[in-house]
Amino acid sequence: MKKLILAGLIILLLAAPWIIAKPFFVHLMIMVLMWTVLGASWNLLGGFTGQVSFGHATFLGAGAYTMMILYLKCGLDPWYGILIGGLVAALIALPIGYICFRLRGPYFALSTLAVAEIIRLVALNWESLTAGPVGLLITTLPKVSFGGQAINWESKTPFFYIAVVITLAALWATAVISRSRLGAYLLAVREDIDSAEAVGINTVQVRVAAFSLSAFFAGLAGGFYAMYLRYIDPDAVFSIALSVEMVFIAVVGGLTTVAGPLIGAIFLVTLGETFRERFLVGHLIFYGFFMMLSIRYMPEGIWGKVRNWFTKSPNTGN
Amino acid sequence: METFIQSIVSGILTGSLYAMIGVGLTVIFGVMRIINMAHGDMVMLGMYGSFWAFTLLKIDPFLSILIWFPAAFVLGFLTYRFLLKKIVPAGELNTLLYTAGLSLFIANTALLIWTGDYRTIKLDYAVMPLRPLGIAVPIPLAIAFGMAIVITAALYWFLVRTPTGRAIRATSQEPEAAALMGVDVDRMAVITFALGTALACGAGVLLAPSLYLYPTVGEILVAKCFVIVVLGGLGSVPGAIAGGVLLGLVESLGAVYVSVPYKDAIGFVIFLLVLLFRPSGLFGVGKS
Amino acid sequence: MSLLQLKGLTKFFGGLQAVSELTFDVQPGEILGLIGPNGAGKTTAFNLIAGFISPSTGEIFFQGESIGGMKAYAVTRKGIARTFQIVKPFKKLSVLENVTLAAFLKFPARREAEQAASRILAKVGLSAKSQSLAGDLTLSEQKRLEIARALATEPKLLLLDEPMGGLNPTEIDQASKLVKTICQEGITIIWVEHVLKAIMNVSDRVVVINYGKKIAEGTPEEVVENPEVITAYLGAKKK
Repeated sequence: MKKLILAGLIILLLAAPWIIAKPFFVHLMIMVLMWTVLGASWNLLGGFTGQVSFGHATFLGAGAYTMMILYLKCGLDPWYGILIGGLVAALIALPIGYICFRLRGPYFALSTLAVAEIIRLVALNWESLTAGPVGLLITTLPKVSFGGQAINWESKTPFFYIAVVITLAALWATAVISRSRLGAYLLAVREDIDSAEAVGINTVQVRVAAFSLSAFFAGLAGGFYAMYLRYIDPDAVFSIALSVEMVFIAVVGGLTTVAGPLIGAIFLVTLGETFRERFLVGHLIFYGFFMMLSIRYMPEGIWGKVRNWFTKSPNTGN
Repeated sequence: METFIQSIVSGILTGSLYAMIGVGLTVIFGVMRIINMAHGDMVMLGMYGSFWAFTLLKIDPFLSILIWFPAAFVLGFLTYRFLLKKIVPAGELNTLLYTAGLSLFIANTALLIWTGDYRTIKLDYAVMPLRPLGIAVPIPLAIAFGMAIVITAALYWFLVRTPTGRAIRATSQEPEAAALMGVDVDRMAVITFALGTALACGAGVLLAPSLYLYPTVGEILVAKCFVIVVLGGLGSVPGAIAGGVLLGLVESLGAVYVSVPYKDAIGFVIFLLVLLFRPSGLFGVGKS
Repeated sequence: MSLLQLKGLTKFFGGLQAVSELTFDVQPGEILGLIGPNGAGKTTAFNLIAGFISPSTGEIFFQGESIGGMKAYAVTRKGIARTFQIVKPFKKLSVLENVTLAAFLKFPARREAEQAASRILAKVGLSAKSQSLAGDLTLSEQKRLEIARALATEPKLLLLDEPMGGLNPTEIDQASKLVKTICQEGITIIWVEHVLKAIMNVSDRVVVINYGKKIAEGTPEEVVENPEVITAYLGAKKK
């Protein structure tokens, strides 16, 4: 039954740009999808593993710049660039994790913020690689065909479908992990590191694995972000604001759930983008407001609360 | 040599204001273990308060601080009493997330109401800098420095000489023991938060004539604030003062002697190193 | 061959010597009691064996292999499990999930791990509570959960840190029986305990520690008569 509903929703999703063909709506959906991936990426680390990071924009930016540089300087097609962007992000997560995981709780959070800022400043200054504050710009995307038809990059639709693929991958990965031994180990690390070690869990390895996986998906989203917006600069992709938004989407949506980030993104991004259309600035006001509301009244997030309504039995940590 | 002295002077002047902001943050952390991500936005509110008082009512910022300091105290009181108090029991991490939300809310409301246009306060008497011994000292910064010293000295006197101040320090060191000795820990918490907020807003009022104002300035300020507070040792007032001045000096000297581009990164690198290897701060007086 | 050998194990915390030249063996299949006044260094010794802290000097051999300085998770994988003096269940997870996590070490697939966990819960008498949140259990139940979790890693050596602490006499009896049962299944046990009656009744041998040093070793009867032990607990005899 569940699988049928899921299949139905996916079909609906795929058909969406044809059902409502307004450009703003398709843009909104793309944003929702992208932020779902970012939220899901953060959720792997912050939700399941309990390690709150305030510097996830690092990986978004890494993915974005990797894709841009590979496309503009080496002519590598963006879709490959996005994948490699994810891998690059996963790789840089290793030394960053090595440094930051020596700290716990809020201090880990602050250290990730510091790392993100350092990387932003490096990107701002390493002009030979990143063109610094000027940023990188895509003027033309590759001429390719899909199913016999040339892709029209001026329309938002092709971007929508790429976003769908990445989002489904991210959510599927989260689902698989949550049911696996690794997923159980992540929760154990979140609960009590010493106890986890006592039952044979290599908590450093688990945390680094979570960090790397999380970074991979953020990197994918970053690569997509660069391809969709066609322009990036260090302040756009390495900003504290982006890191913080990721946190909020995951928390408001529902931590340690698979659908939480999707719900969080649908809710916050729709509110924010619609507001931004009308008022241009201050759309993050909702993020702030609902974050406060969540922590105070709904720590399990919107989706967590919805699930609790339907299942009265105690969950195993979700 | 003259450039060197000039940088030192600039560094100490700005550093004193950083110190005032940092003291506010550290005292809030020390007593309640709250990492207040909205602290920078309090500074921003102080800046805009001084701007509007000047622009609409022609009140000099260095006078309007007399209004804004107590007003900020009340604001801090209300914020703690009605917003934060219920969150603190949920743990440090949840409080961190909550104040992050508060920060975004305040900054974006300000963006909405006051727009993102850069504002400045132009004081008639501040056009030319003072030149004691040939060192250029901008007048607003000098006055701010003076007032920051006065306020910090007053704070020090308060913490060391008054019963309430001592009670706050006791709560900061050992909340349970303090409670057992009859200290109303809850009251100390609210007073401390109000005080910390007032210090932040006050610093904002004093800084306003010297900087460009924009609603999201809190973001970068709070980041710098954490550097200060960690350097000086979390919870330590003298540490925060030293940390603030140190950051001012590092930024000032760094701008002149290190390549200008990466100078902002230095602070964060030092921050990381201290967090990792000397979590009780450079002077070893903080709690980790 | 001895299952566990401590040779000159020493640990300094700054200037404080918590454990000093600790040397004793543990034979396979026995129950060894580790006793001593408060602060004598018993839990430190456990933390050293289990890998939560590393020795300053000295060696620890498990089944002939040197494990001093090995990380905690690695020590568990070698076959040494421990419980904590102040219980540390995964509070927000269910009782079954708590033990399943430990069972994953031997059964990577979820279904087998859960089955193994269920069997162990039955052994410690917690089957009825398998769906309850670990944080909701009584202290006695949490202590049993702690033991169940340790057992799920299929250890050869089990370190019990004050399993009787905070229990009433009936619960102490139950716990003592559980310890004997575990031993009968071939698991060697070292346990630290303050409830002397329990440890003296159940242990095969006892080691007494004071100020980080071993001051006596032998059967419970021998140790109880040892004047140094009596002095350690009760103070010097007044002349």
